[in-house]
Amino acid sequence: MTDTAEAKESAKLAPLHSDTTPAKWVKDNLFNNVMNSIITVLLGVVVVFLLVQSFGWIANEEWEIIRVNLRNFMIGQFPSDQLWRLWTSAFVLIATFGIGTSARAHNSHDDAAEKGLVIERSSLLDLLSRFWPILVFVALVVSFAKTWPPVLGVIAGVSGIVVTRFAGWALPAPIRSRAIPMMAIGTIVSLAVLAGTSGLVALSAGIVALAIAASELSRFFEGSDPKSTAIRTGGPIVIGAATLFIVNAVGFEGYGWEDWGGLHLTLFATVVGIASGMPIGMLLAIGRRSELPVIKGFCVVFIEFVRGVPLISLLLFSSFILPLLFPPSVETPETLTRAMIVIALFSAAYIAEIIRGGLQAVPKGQTEAAQASGMSAAKIQRLIVMPQALRAVIPAMVGQFISLFKDTSLIATIGVAEFFQYVAISNSQPAFLGKGLQLVTYAFVAVGYWSFAYTMSKESRRLEKQLGVGVR
Amino acid sequence: MLERLFRLAIILGVLAALYIAYWKVRSSSRSNADEPPPWRDSRVLVVAAQVAALGLIWSAADYLWANFRARTSDIGLELDFGFLDQPSGISIADNPLNSNAAISAALVQGIKNTFLIIIVGIPLAVMLGTLIGIARLSTNWLLSKIATVYVEFFRNIPVLLVIVLTWTIILNAFPPVRISWLPFGETFIFNNLRFGFPSIVGGDKFGTFQVIVLLALLAAVAAWIWRSRLFDRSGTPHHRVLYGLGTFVAISVVGFIALGGPFDITTPEIIDRVYVGGITMIMPYAAVMIGLVLYTASHIAEIVRGSILSVDKGQVEAGNALALNSFQRYRFVILPQAFRVAFPPLINQFLNFTKNSSLAFAVGFAEITGVIQNLFGQSRPAPQLLLILMVVYLVFSLVLSAIGNLINRRLQIVGR
Repeated sequence: MTDTAEAKESAKLAPLHSDTTPAKWVKDNLFNNVMNSIITVLLGVVVVFLLVQSFGWIANEEWEIIRVNLRNFMIGQFPSDQLWRLWTSAFVLIATFGIGTSARAHNSHDDAAEKGLVIERSSLLDLLSRFWPILVFVALVVSFAKTWPPVLGVIAGVSGIVVTRFAGWALPAPIRSRAIPMMAIGTIVSLAVLAGTSGLVALSAGIVALAIAASELSRFFEGSDPKSTAIRTGGPIVIGAATLFIVNAVGFEGYGWEDWGGLHLTLFATVVGIASGMPIGMLLAIGRRSELPVIKGFCVVFIEFVRGVPLISLLLFSSFILPLLFPPSVETPETLTRAMIVIALFSAAYIAEIIRGGLQAVPKGQTEAAQASGMSAAKIQRLIVMPQALRAVIPAMVGQFISLFKDTSLIATIGVAEFFQYVAISNSQPAFLGKGLQLVTYAFVAVGYWSFAYTMSKESRRLEKQLGVGVR
Repeated sequence: MLERLFRLAIILGVLAALYIAYWKVRSSSRSNADEPPPWRDSRVLVVAAQVAALGLIWSAADYLWANFRARTSDIGLELDFGFLDQPSGISIADNPLNSNAAISAALVQGIKNTFLIIIVGIPLAVMLGTLIGIARLSTNWLLSKIATVYVEFFRNIPVLLVIVLTWTIILNAFPPVRISWLPFGETFIFNNLRFGFPSIVGGDKFGTFQVIVLLALLAAVAAWIWRSRLFDRSGTPHHRVLYGLGTFVAISVVGFIALGGPFDITTPEIIDRVYVGGITMIMPYAAVMIGLVLYTASHIAEIVRGSILSVDKGQVEAGNALALNSFQRYRFVILPQAFRVAFPPLINQFLNFTKNSSLAFAVGFAEITGVIQNLFGQSRPAPQLLLILMVVYLVFSLVLSAIGNLINRRLQIVGR
């Protein structure tokens, strides 16, 4: 981190303005030799032509189809009298994650200060330059809104992000150190508001509570105070159970993911795909490096099989074969659940290969040193190898997140009404059937996918630079 | 019942063998005093863990298979491949197969169509991607910015969207059949259903001519090798492209004249709604091809750019010092070294291209996924069809990566 300080120092010494004049810049960058001059002129004509054409197209095209279907594109067929659930769950997420992430930023800031290092705190302007594509998309969506509530909701959400950033930073240290459980509980509460007592909430509440409990329990074995460990371990489970109990007692009839749709479902499917693929992928990666032929063989066959066939064939498997694998006495889960099972396995295979790359990057001496100090095999993996491997693969993991985000458009082909599917749905409505408005809807959907994927790919490049992957 | 007994016998047999093997190992070791107990003996633990894993995998597979059999017999699904001989009931565009042809014939046609996408698309994507990757590094600001916009646009939208977008744009941009666009004096046909190009049609001496062309090709290769050897020996400029091409063209032209024009050029025409002459491709094929090439090229461009940047800067400077111009620098110094770095990730892109070709069904092109989805629609037995589908893609993937690895091994520098 001192390097960045030095870099800042030298940046201060650099001249504030260079000697370039606009004319010189144009000559240097556009007309520096004959070939480049020809290319510039030709491309310039093409670019101007294309820009004029597309502006003309945007101005003349019929955008009513987006206005009418805006809610479909965003949230699908979610019942209109239940919209408050969506808004509440979104605000809970924004609040907990806004506070949580900025509290964690403050923590690492303090840690660094203790070690005599400086971390630059990212300003709002930085955030703006990092997330502008999403903001542009949000502005586009808001501009298509026909009524006021969504506009006000979005404004409240965006200002909520700003407020919670300051709130999280200002929290006292003991609360800040509990940021991760806070975000986890926020996720459960948000899901509970949205989905009520459906199996989805129970499942995720259980997983999150167990994960937190397990991570706290592991500290006990590393020798922390038994009493506080008991509280920390029991706490999440009690809170998770209490949430479910309260939700159940109030009789919250919620709407599970089978009722969701649009961009909301697309984003959710991506997050679930990565989150559930992650633990399976980790196990597969470790298994593939195992010296036991049976375990290694199974992992290799699974990974190579899943990576060798297209996702569409796996989705066909989920809709035609997977129902046949459940015992006859059990009712088969619905289309989306089956698709999510397959997507989790699909992303697990790809994540396994990414993590394997990271594991190979960890020097063997690390494992040997840990063995020499008498650690158990499980502990070596968890405390020594995995943290280093995961740090090295964060950018690749974001890349996987992006490609899964794009690949979820395929679940439209088995009849799930996610973001992409609403192109077909809106164009087959009586009001728009046969009017040739496909291009309009494709353009809108493309902007939606692009804004999220592009932001994430910029973030992954930033992370790569920040973590110094491949640089020593 | 017999099946279960058989399984039990196998498990017992494995356990007995393990027990004997364990005692063999134990008794053959030096002394029993420093032997660990079995539950801490790594030789035992290794075997035990694998047996446990095997048992787990086996019982899970057994459970799923039992469910599968119960459900399939409930709905009366046969699990054999006899249905492949039945009439398919689907017709494939641009193909003599009618709906009475066997399902197996339709599947073979689907595999051929998939192959047709891959074999044409991958070279095109590599060419376009390389050009765009180089353009991103151009000193021309406008060119590099346009290349960047292209890459960032296509990399960040779903490939399915790219394909259907191409299809829609072609559908809207090209005229309908009755007012087809006929550029270059009606030698081409473009409309929103079909593209037609001129092609050649062989006369009665066409077979002989093909042999001559083959011989010309061999002669050209020989000339190429001769010039290369000469260059290696004496340093005379090789001009092997010139010599090779010259040999090929000269022999072919002489053959063409000697045989008195063994082939004619035909141009496509529409006579009574039927396309006559030339070579035509249906629009979905063109849409899939263009869409996949545009999408894959954006990924390949990034690989090419990264590999060019990975070439040591000193190499470029040395090329400059030798007064190579920018084309020569790329051709002789940078690209050969960059290609070595780029090849492994390129193989990955080829595999992705193959898998993405499965999305052609979205615009109605009958490649293997499309054919099989069509058959699903007629409630043909899904398990067998899906098995065929996955095996086909696995074979494509395996063959492609085998070829790729072979080339990659030739490319890498042999260590000193």
